[in-house]
Amino acid sequence: MSPSTPESHDDGLTPRRWLAGLASRERRLLRLAVLCGVVVGLATMVQMGLLAWIVSALLTSGATLDELSWAFASAMGVIGVRAMAQWGYEVTAQEASLRIRQAARREVLGHLEALGPVRLAGRHSAGLGGQLVEQVEALDGYFARFLPQLRLAVVLPLTILVIVAWLDWLVAILLLLSMPLIPVFMALVGMGAERLNREQFAAVTRLAGHFLDRVRGITTLQLFNCTESATDEVYARADDYRRRSMRTLRLAFLSSAVLEFFASVAIAMLAIYIGFGLLGYIAFGPAPKLTLFSGLTILLLAPEFFQPLRTLSQHYHDRAAALGAADGLVALLSEPLPEHVGERSDQRNTDLAIAVGLVGVSVRHPGRGDVLGPLDLEVAAGETVALIGPSGAGKSTLLQLIAGFIDSETGQVYVDTGNGFAWMDQRPFLVQGSIADNLRLAAPYASDAQLLAALERAGLRELLASLPEGLQTSLGERGAGLSGGQAQRVALARIFLSPAPLVLLDEPTASLDEVSEAFVIEGLKSLAEEGRTLVIATHHPALMVMAGCVVRLSQGRIVTEQSA
Amino acid sequence: MMREHYRQQTEGLHGAAWRELGSELLPWLRRLGRRRQRLLVGAMLLALTLGAAIGLLALSGWFITATAMTGTLLAAGVVARLDIYVPGGGIRFFAVTRTVSRYFERLYNHDTVLRLLADLRGGMFRVLAGLDAQVLSRRRASEWLNRLTADIDTLDSLYLRLLAPPAVALLAILVVTVLLGSFAPLTGGVVGLALLVLWVWLVVGQAWLGMDASRRRVATLDRLRGHLIEHLMGLGELRAYGSLSSHRQAILGEEDTLYRDQRYLGRVSALGNTLVGLGVGLAMLLALWLAALAYRGENLSGPLMVMMPLAVLALNEAFAALPVAFTQLGATRAAARRLNALERSSSAIIEADTPRAMNDDGIEWRLEAVSLHYPEALTPALDRVSMSLAPQERLALLGASGAGKSSVAMLLTRLLDPDQGRVTLHGVDLRELSLEAVRSRIGYLTQGTELFHDSIAANLRLACPHADDAELWRVLEMVELADWVEQLPRQLDTPVGEGGRQLSGGQARRLGLARILLHDAPIVILDEPFTGLDRSLARRISRRLDTWLSGKTVLFLLHQLDEERDASLGIQRALTLIQGRLEP
Repeated sequence: MSPSTPESHDDGLTPRRWLAGLASRERRLLRLAVLCGVVVGLATMVQMGLLAWIVSALLTSGATLDELSWAFASAMGVIGVRAMAQWGYEVTAQEASLRIRQAARREVLGHLEALGPVRLAGRHSAGLGGQLVEQVEALDGYFARFLPQLRLAVVLPLTILVIVAWLDWLVAILLLLSMPLIPVFMALVGMGAERLNREQFAAVTRLAGHFLDRVRGITTLQLFNCTESATDEVYARADDYRRRSMRTLRLAFLSSAVLEFFASVAIAMLAIYIGFGLLGYIAFGPAPKLTLFSGLTILLLAPEFFQPLRTLSQHYHDRAAALGAADGLVALLSEPLPEHVGERSDQRNTDLAIAVGLVGVSVRHPGRGDVLGPLDLEVAAGETVALIGPSGAGKSTLLQLIAGFIDSETGQVYVDTGNGFAWMDQRPFLVQGSIADNLRLAAPYASDAQLLAALERAGLRELLASLPEGLQTSLGERGAGLSGGQAQRVALARIFLSPAPLVLLDEPTASLDEVSEAFVIEGLKSLAEEGRTLVIATHHPALMVMAGCVVRLSQGRIVTEQSA
Repeated sequence: MMREHYRQQTEGLHGAAWRELGSELLPWLRRLGRRRQRLLVGAMLLALTLGAAIGLLALSGWFITATAMTGTLLAAGVVARLDIYVPGGGIRFFAVTRTVSRYFERLYNHDTVLRLLADLRGGMFRVLAGLDAQVLSRRRASEWLNRLTADIDTLDSLYLRLLAPPAVALLAILVVTVLLGSFAPLTGGVVGLALLVLWVWLVVGQAWLGMDASRRRVATLDRLRGHLIEHLMGLGELRAYGSLSSHRQAILGEEDTLYRDQRYLGRVSALGNTLVGLGVGLAMLLALWLAALAYRGENLSGPLMVMMPLAVLALNEAFAALPVAFTQLGATRAAARRLNALERSSSAIIEADTPRAMNDDGIEWRLEAVSLHYPEALTPALDRVSMSLAPQERLALLGASGAGKSSVAMLLTRLLDPDQGRVTLHGVDLRELSLEAVRSRIGYLTQGTELFHDSIAANLRLACPHADDAELWRVLEMVELADWVEQLPRQLDTPVGEGGRQLSGGQARRLGLARILLHDAPIVILDEPFTGLDRSLARRISRRLDTWLSGKTVLFLLHQLDEERDASLGIQRALTLIQGRLEP
């Protein structure tokens, strides 16, 4: 039913594979970023070489500053080129990351839409919203920083190694020996950090859910004098988060400390080796051939040899964060889409007079067994059916089944949804926006006059007249500003506007004031008179009376079916 | 794109704006001040790391040059001596210090920040818990989540990103200036000045360019999150009406705004990073040029000449963190501003300083000419309402939704204070009594049942933390939920879902009622207790309620009396509210 159902995923969708797939979407930009990064690295090497050359010319050849002005000028030029390449690197990598995040968000949102409302009901909407915002944003560092740096960390040290080998092969061998140790160490450290990071993400999501939950219920906490203990609980949760984070960071920082150690010790060792070589204390290998130029160049390039790897290790937690986020998102993506076990058809392939036909349907919830059925039900077009029975009897589940929010395990479902259907439950759904925006959800092209007429039918004319901005009055999140009855009547007006022939209602009059209730009942009557098909789960006597057929449910089964 | 933002910028950021920025961040700086010692230690570790890095490179350069020059002399047969042990030891010392101090600095500082965050989070919740129902009900949606988690998270950048790094960078500039200046005053002075200009740009200029876009970013993220949550909550309706794709378009539009700003901010911080490379590189060349002049003039030795550009080069590390941090200053500022507004919120319920003792035998409640007006409403919620509730009386307050019944209940439980008039208990103004004492004597079943994402048992125990399982089963029995809970695999430990969504409306209502039964307060307010229950169940429960209520003072809030359903509730008197006024 969703307009864009994403293609189903292989069973083996892993966070890594998903990230790789996303990266390949922006292969070109990422390559361009790496190219810029290589230019930055090369320019740095040239800059260091020029610096050593100038010093050597001044000290050993006794050159004057005038003679060296060209060298200073070229060094300035190289620094300029380096700056431009730096800019290009950052901007391109960022652009790639932006595009990838956009695509990832779309994919996950599409999947959630396809899962449908009932499958999502057990989850924190805020948690899911957070995942779609924060976890998708958490992919940023991986694509904008880690991935390009991964290539640079290979290319640049190798280039430096070649230059150093040309200057002094013994130093090159020393650097080469230190090199394989680094990735091994980092991999060890990285693996631990990754797992911890995943746990931390789960903790952040839980923390967010916990927080919203406690804030939503703060009145109840106040009434039961529980605010103190709830505050302590909030503090404890945050402190727990700190401890989790510290565990991740202790390891994450270790990987960069290892590199720091290699880089520092290498510089120290090289400085001493070069110094002794220059003094003539080292008589073997290439050391006697060292000059101030080659020695200084090696010293200046040594930190640059480790720098790409150090930067990579700083971004290592970006990778771990992205994998943690991807884990959460892939878990959503791997949530199986409704399998159509029972048959379901929306086409008008059978009897025109049948709006809803259920044959041998049943629904089970995990951990709760059969909540509905097996049962049969037929609703004729234009008929009004009331579903009654004790709370928990399966009335809502039956409506959700008809709506297609859940699927039947068995049997066949036939629903005529040629023109869509209308849905209303106890919690009227209102979006943050104007009253008009809310009404146009059902009828995007309705004129203002049509909106006003629908509101009037729902008994909201007085309210509207009292609002200076009329239809453009904006409602807060979930209809803040309206009373429960008014919100329900806005939802009713929406049904009037919708052309849907089938109207599904779940306890539409529960917790309404008299006036609102009367308007809702009148409104439903007029919908029935228009020839629409109504299926209403209700306890209200007036709605039972207006129904042509009353179906009593108990423990998921139809007990009686009475036609008026 | 850049220019367009630039123009917006030039309008608003002058002296007054910077002062405003200061006053917005001041309360948070003060808060940080409470952990002054930790912050100081952290900054010292930071400075130590940087100092070691500068020392390592500068000393190595000096050493190599000195050895090269001595080596040349030795090769020429000149007798020359160079102490190699002190500089050699110095180099090793700097190398180890840099590694160790860096690791501990990062660990220590992150721990500090997360400690601060836990303080702040608990503190903000305390602020919320003290607010009245009017503010809370207005804002109780997903924006809270951001306000309290993301905003506080954003403020972590205050110390670790915005305070310590620029201070340490400034210190490093000073150290390099002194180091250079002690050998060649002119070189030190000129290079120091150049670096200072760069520092000022990185701190002030970057903040200035990024201010608006980064400030907006938080709000945009908020809206995007709000839209997404809405989208997922309303999936049923949106799907039914076929408006899924148009609502999705709105979400994508919000995302576009977000990414437009992000793109701009990314460019601004790229500019900053580019300037660091350019500025430090050019300063290094400048140092070399000036030092070379001094060397040619025989005012400086060769090794010291080499040391100077290398010391400057090491400053790259000191500046590296500044561009991104200051480009995002606006985000920190926006978060601080929102949290400030919340803390200054005037609608806190204020606890009496010296609460008066409460008299427990026969409590009489009274509303004396009470008026209440919600800020955004067109008409007052209550208009000079006077009424009383005698001890052990059962009074029904009737009226349509919005007539003011819930407002009366909220006044009695001090979830709200009246704008005019008084609410008294035994002649004492509620505001003079302890909040805890008032609320512990009242069980109030609110119109909507607030259940927490927790187990059935945990939801019940809110009312009575020490209740044992037997007591929980007893109250579940009274509302006829015991059989249902018993056949659940996890029984009392079954989670109820977000806001009780795993339960049907009727089940949630009964669980709420069971919680009030467990609370067992002498005064009970029941707001439409039987919502969503079928009639026979409502009748059975109301009969049991009648027994339980005997001896208690009871206020029923009902739309209207229903002979059949309410017959067993023993209502003695009924008052009707119509649009905030009592029916005469």
